[in-house]
Amino acid sequence: MNTINNANEVLVDCQNVWKIFGARAPTAIRAVEERGLSKKQILEEFDCVVGVANANLQVRRGEIFCIMGLSGSGKSTLVRLLNRLIEPSLGQITIKGKDIAKLNAAELRDMRARNIGMVFQSVALLPGRTVLENAAFGLEVRGVPRDERYKIARAALEKVGLADWMARYPSELSGGMQQRVGLARALAADPEIILMDEPFSALDPLIRRQLQDEFRQLTKSLGKSSVFITHDLEEAIRIGDRIAIMKDGVIVQVGTAEEIVTQPADDYVSEFVAGISRIHLVKAHSVMLPVAEFQTLQPHCDVEALLKTSPEADIGELIDLTMRSNRDAVAVVENGAMVGIVTTRGLLCGVAGTPARELVAA
Amino acid sequence: MDTSVITDNFDTFTDDALGWISDNGEWLFDFIRMVLEGTYDGILWVLQISPFYVIAALAALLGWRLINLAAGLLTGVALTFCTAMGLWAETMSTLALVATATILALVVGIPIGILAGFVRSFDRALEPVLDLIQTLPPYIYLLPAIALLGYGPATALIATFIVAMPPAIRLTSLGIRMTPREFIELGQASGLTPWQMFTKIRLPFAIPSVMAGINQSLMMAFGMVVIAGIVGSGGLGETIYGAVRTLDIATSINAAIAIVILTMVLDRLTQSAAHRAKAGAR
Repeated sequence: MNTINNANEVLVDCQNVWKIFGARAPTAIRAVEERGLSKKQILEEFDCVVGVANANLQVRRGEIFCIMGLSGSGKSTLVRLLNRLIEPSLGQITIKGKDIAKLNAAELRDMRARNIGMVFQSVALLPGRTVLENAAFGLEVRGVPRDERYKIARAALEKVGLADWMARYPSELSGGMQQRVGLARALAADPEIILMDEPFSALDPLIRRQLQDEFRQLTKSLGKSSVFITHDLEEAIRIGDRIAIMKDGVIVQVGTAEEIVTQPADDYVSEFVAGISRIHLVKAHSVMLPVAEFQTLQPHCDVEALLKTSPEADIGELIDLTMRSNRDAVAVVENGAMVGIVTTRGLLCGVAGTPARELVAA
Repeated sequence: MDTSVITDNFDTFTDDALGWISDNGEWLFDFIRMVLEGTYDGILWVLQISPFYVIAALAALLGWRLINLAAGLLTGVALTFCTAMGLWAETMSTLALVATATILALVVGIPIGILAGFVRSFDRALEPVLDLIQTLPPYIYLLPAIALLGYGPATALIATFIVAMPPAIRLTSLGIRMTPREFIELGQASGLTPWQMFTKIRLPFAIPSVMAGINQSLMMAFGMVVIAGIVGSGGLGETIYGAVRTLDIATSINAAIAIVILTMVLDRLTQSAAHRAKAGAR
C-alpha cells in the first residue's frame, strides 16, 4: 500500500505557470490574470515575450519526464522555473509538496543542494579541478568533509564508468566523458530529482544513444526522478516514461510515447511524429479489432486457433508472430480472456500511423 | 567680463585649498609618508642586505621555473650586468620603489576592482575617473604630492601608486564580470552561498585577468618611477635625472639599460605567471 502511494507521489507539480519577459511584464501579467490574453495579444499590447504560457505538469516519483520542443519553445525556461533559476510570473510550483516561491534564500539553496540536481548541455565542469573534485563539487559546497565527499564522488564516477579518470582534468576528457562527469556530479549530491537540460545534444549520435540508455538505466536503478529537456523526439521516446511537447511556450500534449505517436493532439505534433518508427512504440491494444467485429468480417476463421499474445506486445513482436503462424491474424489475450484480434491490415495501419479510430471504421 | 578673473580666482582657491590641507592635514600626511617610506625601507633593506648574486640567483631560479632554463640564465646574466655597470644599489632602490608602489596599488586596486565587477553602477562611475587618471600627464601627480609629502621617496611612491592602480582595477573588474554564464548557473543550481559563488566560481575564472592587471600595473609603475626621479625618488630614475642635468650621456645610457633589464625581467616573470594562471583555469 505504502509503496503504491510512494510510486504515485507527485514530486514536481506545476500549476498554471507563466513566465513573461519584458519591461512591462508586471502589467502584462495583470492583464493575463484579469482578461486571459493570448500570447499574441501580450506581444502586441505590452511588447512582452511569453516564455512559458499556462504550463501544467506533474512528475511522479521514479518517473522520467521528457519535455520536447524546438529552440525557442520555452523548454529551457520551463526547466529553470522548476528550481527557481527563473522566477515564475504567475502560477505555483511545488517540489515535494513545498511551494518553492515561498522559500527564503537559505531554504532555496538547501533545496537546490539536496533535492534537485541539474545537468547542463554545456556540462560546466570547473576547468581547474580534477574529475573527482568536480564530481564532489555539490557535496563540497554543502560542507561534507573531504574524505567522505571523495568516497561518494568516487562511487558516483564508478557508476558512470569513469573509475580510471578521476585524477584527470576535464580538458583531457572527450565530450561524452565530460557529460558523464556532469551526471556523476549530479548523482553524488543524491537528489531525488535531476533536471537534465539537453545534456546529450552536443554529442555525436553513437555516444548519445549509449548515454541515453545508460542514463535511463541508472535513473531507474537508483529510483531517481528526472525532468529531461530535449529537442529530439527520438531521444524523448527512448528515455521518457512520459513526454510533454512544447510549442511557443505552450505544452501542447502530455502523454506516453505511444499516446503521442498514435494520438497526436494537433497538426504540429502529428507532423513531428510522422517520421518516428512505430515498430516498438505501438502496442497490440491500439491496433486490435474487437473480437466480434473480426468475426463478422471473417466468419470462417476459428479465433481459438490463432497464435496468442498480450496487449503490450509491440508491432515488432506482432509481425514476428504473424510470420510464424499460417494465418494472417493474431489473438490478443488479457487475463485469460480474448480481448481483440490484430489483423495484417491492422498491423499495416499501425506501422503507417493511421489513427485507431479509422482502423475500427475499416 | 574678463574671464581671467574667474581663472585667477580658481587658481587662488586651489592654492589656498592646498595650503589649508597641508596645514591642517599635517598629521595625516606624516602618517601616509611614514607608511609609504616604512614599506619602502623595509623592502629595500631586504634587497640590500642580500649580496647581488643571491638576488640574481633567485631571479634566475624563478625564470627557470616559470619560463625555461635559457630565460633563467639570461635573467641571471642580465642582472649581473647591472652590477658590472656599478648600478646595483640604484637598481635595487628602483625595484623597491616599484614593488612598494605596485603592492599598494594592488592592495587598494584589486578590492575596488572586485567591487566594480559586482556593482555595475560603481563601475560606470569609476570609468571616467580611471580614464582621467590614465590620460593626464603623469607629471601632474608629482606636484600636489610634493606639496603635501615633500621631496623624497614618499612623493615618488604616491605618484607611482596613482598611475599603477587603474590597470589593476580595470582588469580585476573585467575578470569578475567575465565569469561564463553557465558556471554562474551551475553555482546557483548547486545551491552556493554568495560567498561560495565568489570564491569557488567567480574568483578562479577572474585570476588570469587579475594576473594580467598585476603585470600592467607593474609596467605602469616602471614608467612612472623614472619620471619620479625629479622629486628625489632615489634609484635609477634619479640617476638618469642627474645625468641629464650634467649632460653625462654615458651614465644616463647605463641607467637606462639597467631600467630596461629590470623591466623586462619583471615583465617576463609576471607574464608567465599570468599564463600559468590561465592554463590552470582552462
